[in-house]
Amino acid sequence: MIITRQKPMKEILEMLSPYRGVALLGCGGCVAFYQTGGAKQTKEMAEKLREAGVSVVALGIANRQCYLCEEREVAGLSDAERIRKVARELEGFSELENAEAVLSLACGVGVQNLANILDIPVLPAQNTLFMGRRRVEGDFDLEQCVGCGDCILAFTGGICPVTRCAKSLMNGPCGGVFNGMCEVSKSRVVEHAVPCAWIEIYNKLKKQGRVDELRRIRPPKDFTKAANMRKVAWGVQK
Amino acid sequence: MKEVYSNFMRSLLSSEFTISGEIDPPKDANRTAVEEQVRHLKEHVVAANVTDNPIGDVIMNTLAPCVIMQELGLEAIYQATCRDRNRIALQSDIIGAAALGIKNVLALTGDHPKMGNHPQAKPVFDLDSVLLTQVLRRLREGENMAGEKLEHPPKIHIGVGLSPGVEPLEPEIIKLEKKIEAGAEFVQTQCIYDEKVLERLKEATSHLDVPILPGIAPLRSVGMAKFMLANVPGISIPEEMMKKLESSSNLTETAIDIAAELISAVKDYGFPGVHIMPVGMDKYVGEMIARSGVR
Repeated sequence: MIITRQKPMKEILEMLSPYRGVALLGCGGCVAFYQTGGAKQTKEMAEKLREAGVSVVALGIANRQCYLCEEREVAGLSDAERIRKVARELEGFSELENAEAVLSLACGVGVQNLANILDIPVLPAQNTLFMGRRRVEGDFDLEQCVGCGDCILAFTGGICPVTRCAKSLMNGPCGGVFNGMCEVSKSRVVEHAVPCAWIEIYNKLKKQGRVDELRRIRPPKDFTKAANMRKVAWGVQK
Repeated sequence: MKEVYSNFMRSLLSSEFTISGEIDPPKDANRTAVEEQVRHLKEHVVAANVTDNPIGDVIMNTLAPCVIMQELGLEAIYQATCRDRNRIALQSDIIGAAALGIKNVLALTGDHPKMGNHPQAKPVFDLDSVLLTQVLRRLREGENMAGEKLEHPPKIHIGVGLSPGVEPLEPEIIKLEKKIEAGAEFVQTQCIYDEKVLERLKEATSHLDVPILPGIAPLRSVGMAKFMLANVPGISIPEEMMKKLESSSNLTETAIDIAAELISAVKDYGFPGVHIMPVGMDKYVGEMIARSGVR
C-alpha cells in the first residue's frame, strides 16, 4: 500500500489560508486502511478546520482517489462541467462549486489525479512516504518497494535489497552488519533500528534451502529501467 | 605467469611476510600531515592504504595522499568506495589514478553517509564491492563497462575487504568468494583483536587461494576499546587485553605491546602478512613490528 503521514495542522492551515471555501476529500484506499485519510480522519479534519475558522463547504470520500475517473471521461469537458461531474459522482460533494480549493487526504497519486481533473487548486493534507506495509509488531510502517522497474525478488527470498538495504547492495551484506542490524541504526539521524536486509535474505534463503542463490554474482542495476531513478521518465507505454 | 605491477603484489607472491600500513588523510589541505605519516611508515611497510572518507566524514580525498606518498617513495594502496561515486566516476577516477602511478586499489562498499558528519548527503552505491572488483578487472583487461576498448588499460592489482568477526559469517564468506571470482587478488580485513577471530578467519578461508592480510590496529585506551566494541561491527576484545589496558601505567607502551602480540599471532596462524592501521600511532609502527619478532 501507499504509506502516508498527515501533515502538521499548522502547515495545512497555512496552505488553506488564501481560500475562503474549502472542500475536503478523503480516500477509501490505502489511507483509509492505514487510518490517515479515510472517512473518519476526513471528518476529524473537517472539525479541526472548522475550529480553526476555515469554511468547509463539502466533504466527500472517493472510493479510490487514484482512480476517480478515466482521463478520457473528462477530456472534452469545460472546467465547470468537470467540477459538476466530480460533485455529482461523490457523495457529500455537491457543494464543490462553492469551494475555492480542495484539501485531499489521499496520497500524492490521488492528489495529482484530482488536480488533473479540476482547475481549482488541490492541496495535499498528507506527506506521501513510500510503498510498503504496516509491520505486525507496533505502529511501524515498512518500506518494501521503490519501483525500480527490474524486480529481483525471485532470488532474494521475497525481500527487496534495493529498497531495504540502506545501500541497495546487489551481492550480499556489507561489513556494517551489527548483530543483524544495519550500521545506519547507529546513526544519530536514524530514529529507529533497521534490520540488515541481506541477513534477512540469507536467513530466508537458508530456511528455503536456497543459500546458493547468494553465490551468483548479480549484475549492476540497470537504472534505465527504473522510472523513479532515472528522473527523466514520466510514464511507460502500456 | 601472472603479470606483476606493484611491489606490494611482488611481496605477496614471495615467501616474505608482507606488511601493509595505512594513513589517515587530514581533514584539511595539510600536506605535511600526510608527509609525516608516510615518513613514519616508509621504512617498515611495503605499501600503505589511503582511506576513502571513512564513516563518510569529509577529509582530504584518496588520490592526493596516494600521489604524495609515492613521490616520497612509499607505494600506495588506493581505497575506492562505492558511497560517493557512480560507475562513471569510479571508472574515471581509477583510470586517472593509474595514470598518476597508482598500482594497487582496494575495492570497498563504503560506510553509509548517515554515519558521518554529512548525514544529509545522498548515498550513491551504484555498484557494490563485488561489482566494483569486477569493473576494475575489466578495466585492467582493457575494457570499460560500456564495452569500449582501452588502449592503455590501468595496470592495477585489486584487493578487497573482509569483516571476519561478523555474525553470521557464512554470507560474508560467500561474498568474499564472489569477490575472488570477480577478480580480487588480495584481502585486507577489518581490525582483529581476538585470536579466536584469527582462528575463525583461517578456518573459514582455508579453501580460498588468495593472500589474506588480517587487520591490526593498536588499542590506545580503554575508552577506545569500549568505543570499538560498541560501534564497530564484528569486534571482540579479550578480557585479558582489556585488563592490560586498564592496569597500564604507560598506555603507549601497552598499545605497542598489544599490537606486537597480535602481529606475531597473525604470523603464527600462517597468514602471509598483516595490515597495520596505526590510527594515529604511525610513529610507533616500526616499534610494533620490531617487538612482534616477525622479521
